[in-house]
Amino acid sequence: MQSASLLAGIGARWQNRVASLREYDVIREGNVFGTSFADSFLYQDEFDCARRLRSRLLDEYEGRSFGDVFSGTVRENEGGECTVLTSREAIAVPGQDPESLRDAILADLTLVKGIGPKTAERLRKRGFATIPDLTGHGRYRAPARELLALIEAGDRPGLLEFIARRHSASHPHILGMSSLFPPESLVFFDIETLGLFARPIILFGVGRIEGGRITVSQYLLEDPSEEHAALLETLSHLTGENPALVTFNGKAFDLPYFRDRLAYYGTPFFAGIPHFDILHHSRRAWKGELRDCRLGTLEREILGVQRSEDLPSQMVPEFYETYLRTGNPGPLVPIVEHNRQDVVSLARLYALHMERWHAGS
Amino acid sequence: MPVPELIRILQEQPVYRKRIAHIESFPAREAAFGEPDTPLPESLAAYLAAKRIRLYTHQCAAINAIRSGKDTIITTPTASGKTLSFALPVFERLERDPDARALFLYPTKALANDQLGSLREIGKFTGIPAHAAIYDGDTPQGHRASIREMSRLILSNPHELHQVLSWHNRWRTFFSGLRFVVIDEAHRYRGVFGSHISLVIRRLRRIARFYGSDPVFILSTATLANPEEFAARLTGRDAALIDADGSPRGRKHFVLYNPNFAGISERSTHQETKDILVSCVREAIPTLCFTVSRKMAELVSLWAQNDLRQVLPGKQDCVTAYRAGYLPEERRAIERRLKSGDLSAVVSTNALELGIDIGGLDAVIISGYPGTMMATWQQAGRAGRSGGDSVAVLVGFEGPLDQYFMHHPDQFFSRAHEHAIIDTENPYILSGHLLCAAAELPVREADFPLFGTGCEAMIGALEEHRLLRKTPWGWVYTGRGKAAEAVQLDSISTDTFRVTCSGKLLETIDRAHAFREAHRGAVLLHQGDTYLVREMDLEGSVIRVTEADVDYYTQAMHDVDLAVRDRKKARDTNGITLSFGDVDVSERFFAYKVKRFDTVLDVVPLDLPPIQFGTKALWFTIPEEIERAVLARNLDFAGGLHAVEHALIALMPFHVICDRWDIGGLSTPAYGEENIPTIFVYDGYEGGIGLAEKAYDLFPGLVAMARKLVEDCPCESGCPSCVYSPKCGNDNHPMDKEAAILILRELEARLCPAPAAAEAAPVPAPVQVPCDP
Repeated sequence: MQSASLLAGIGARWQNRVASLREYDVIREGNVFGTSFADSFLYQDEFDCARRLRSRLLDEYEGRSFGDVFSGTVRENEGGECTVLTSREAIAVPGQDPESLRDAILADLTLVKGIGPKTAERLRKRGFATIPDLTGHGRYRAPARELLALIEAGDRPGLLEFIARRHSASHPHILGMSSLFPPESLVFFDIETLGLFARPIILFGVGRIEGGRITVSQYLLEDPSEEHAALLETLSHLTGENPALVTFNGKAFDLPYFRDRLAYYGTPFFAGIPHFDILHHSRRAWKGELRDCRLGTLEREILGVQRSEDLPSQMVPEFYETYLRTGNPGPLVPIVEHNRQDVVSLARLYALHMERWHAGS
Repeated sequence: MPVPELIRILQEQPVYRKRIAHIESFPAREAAFGEPDTPLPESLAAYLAAKRIRLYTHQCAAINAIRSGKDTIITTPTASGKTLSFALPVFERLERDPDARALFLYPTKALANDQLGSLREIGKFTGIPAHAAIYDGDTPQGHRASIREMSRLILSNPHELHQVLSWHNRWRTFFSGLRFVVIDEAHRYRGVFGSHISLVIRRLRRIARFYGSDPVFILSTATLANPEEFAARLTGRDAALIDADGSPRGRKHFVLYNPNFAGISERSTHQETKDILVSCVREAIPTLCFTVSRKMAELVSLWAQNDLRQVLPGKQDCVTAYRAGYLPEERRAIERRLKSGDLSAVVSTNALELGIDIGGLDAVIISGYPGTMMATWQQAGRAGRSGGDSVAVLVGFEGPLDQYFMHHPDQFFSRAHEHAIIDTENPYILSGHLLCAAAELPVREADFPLFGTGCEAMIGALEEHRLLRKTPWGWVYTGRGKAAEAVQLDSISTDTFRVTCSGKLLETIDRAHAFREAHRGAVLLHQGDTYLVREMDLEGSVIRVTEADVDYYTQAMHDVDLAVRDRKKARDTNGITLSFGDVDVSERFFAYKVKRFDTVLDVVPLDLPPIQFGTKALWFTIPEEIERAVLARNLDFAGGLHAVEHALIALMPFHVICDRWDIGGLSTPAYGEENIPTIFVYDGYEGGIGLAEKAYDLFPGLVAMARKLVEDCPCESGCPSCVYSPKCGNDNHPMDKEAAILILRELEARLCPAPAAAEAAPVPAPVQVPCDP
């Protein structure tokens, strides 16, 4: 049996050790290197600013409780209880235009395996202008029929998968496919975590569109023991009718992270849900014009939104941990706002992309 | 035949003859073949037939044990075909069961790379779809997903495993089918590193269990004194022991060669080594020579080349030095040249010890006792092509262990090898892995048996410091940093120093180590290369070194303060009370010596804060009668105690695989309030690492051996071969060899049943002294 003081010493030692690990570098301004690099660096002034913000919040919210500051609804499920905070904003709803999409797809011969741009050109000259035309071609009949079958059957996930095999993630067809989903079934998704991996998700942001407005539901963990419940609540958004995920860098980060945390609690997860990652489409649209393709930059430069007193996402873990340590809900306030704005901007950016797609750019 | 000729030369030429302490000859042994209980499937039988391989008895025994689902530990020597012992049952299962998967763990990437070739070959020949692949830090990102999904035989290393476990969701398919875990060169996982790895293995078992698997563990190790205990500690489960070697052996001669024969050496050990090496080359005997450092390997090789240039011009290119840093192609080139006879001799550090196939040698020269019997026999085992005579020559240094063997060859050849120690209960090590486990899956009470008795209290402490949080599904990891990154597998303290050379990181060592061996001005050895410490930055925890080519070395000196915190066990035998428990130690490094060979060139003061840590120790008291007897002869009692302490510590590595630097000691004629003469031996690692604990069990044998060492040493009043310690903080003062002999004789008489007692003989009916819980 180890003595109490020995154990306390061990606890303190690990606490210090873990606290000393940082997943980002703080660099001096002027040392700008890779753009659209992993967000693993922070400028010195951003870092200092965030630190000052934290002190200010701690003062401002001294003595207040979580429930005091965050008045949400309690949700209950097999995972337990968690709190959801809801907010709404107006949003221009992207229209659905299945006809345009259908025409674009059917005119794209390179969707058939074995046909590259040059071959497509040759085929067009010989009178094969569309996929249906190819059903008359000995060699490409079979894959052409396969594609048409998918379209006829209205198999959206299948079609998406077919296209993804032939085109990169940023191809306009992929973006266009999202127009086959009614806006109500789109799930805009963004998470905040305690680190880059193998630590709890502390905030789940889910946006749903209905009647010209976006409702942002945020599941914020008052205590890490609520994570399981929050995971399941979020999951319920994805198990409805024909859901489709829309994220920013979600393919590389948010979704795998979400799946790993579900697995951590022993809940196996679904296979492919249609997933539209706006990072890829944004890169295609504006790379080279902007200094980087971070959501914050796009929001500022493309959507014209200025955030005041925003928190850099790398600092979220430190702010949440301050809350856990002190019980003071102040540091959580910018996390919630940051996430909420992320979801809204994500949706607005998506809408903008769809507008451009409709306009044929 | 050249080898008997060499032996004759050694025995007859005067210059050599007087240095020969002993020659032991082992007769040739035929192979003992066998058949597994049920025949191997056709595919594998065909493979063996094509390679003209017949299975030895021990390989069959291993196959039988593994097939029956038993964990197995195989300790037969190198080149006895251990790989096939586990590869065959694994491939057999892979063929039969399409979901089966196997994980092979190696201590180094080099070894994994070497094994990959032979494993792939089996797969290719038999058509069994194993898709063997390496998955480690060098595996490109783009390949990782497909290896996880497709490969049924994955080769990796414990460091990678430590990181990979938290990604287990991506490894679902692999873990669900995991049937075998092979741990090759498992003896490397001992001491601090081994204790960490044993916990990584526990975490692996937990994850496998989560996915519904219960893999069989197969350990392949060098010969140990405690294989079953070691296996049980490493994996947490009992293993069947396969140790009876059925492989054939040619006649083998083992020469104990002592340049120190007259008590003083005329020339350095390395020059003596060089002479033997040159003789081997002259007799056209393919030779492998092991030295303790890279520098020495290069020097011996250089001197040999110089000599050969004179006596056998043209032959000097037949000798080369070999290092761990070579690329695989360079290594293979050397191997080829040795095989073809182009190269006669290779001089190396113990890099080759790691199972890289060199083969085809008739002689091995070991320059300086490598520290363990295990390493000695592994190195010696390199000599001997099937059927022919071979020879191994151990050239002794002047330290106590080397000299002990030179003077007691019977001890050398009857020695059953050392104990490999793993301590799964060191709280510093255990706590780190609890954090990692919690980051992988919530920790539940059902996991407690896996991690040992201390874990519940430890979880409470971690929870208090907000690293874990209790939830209905178990304890969840809530630290902000990544757990697997916080835990360093080769140290205990989280207070570590980074050793850098020109900005590049060489290694990370903990504080105690840093103060002992890498203080400012120290000469530091790292992977066989020599460095000089320029600066030790206590604030930033960085040690800056530069490469150095110096002919001196340094030894730090320290004072020790010690206080007993809690006695855990004790036994009283004929008036000698031996205790074991927790102590608080404070070591203060106040100066270091600069030495060339044995001459002290300078003593430089150090200004460092003391290192304080809690650890485990054994201690024993000397009864009044013995003290009186010593004083009656006008001998120095304190000097005698001090000498006994040194002798015991010097011989510890004889019993457990450790360095004399892993242990510390303190002797005093007046300890505590009652001023009782006491000697302490403590683990040099915070929290203890099982060394003093093992010494507590083996104490009578240790004492008997110490008595022999000191009594039989031909020196007058003490020397580095018996009681002088290179790390003595008091510069080996006071020291009284005669008093030590008296004390040791008395101790031995009381602790051991008969004067010429066997080592580790159980003490007859010791009286257990009650201790507070």
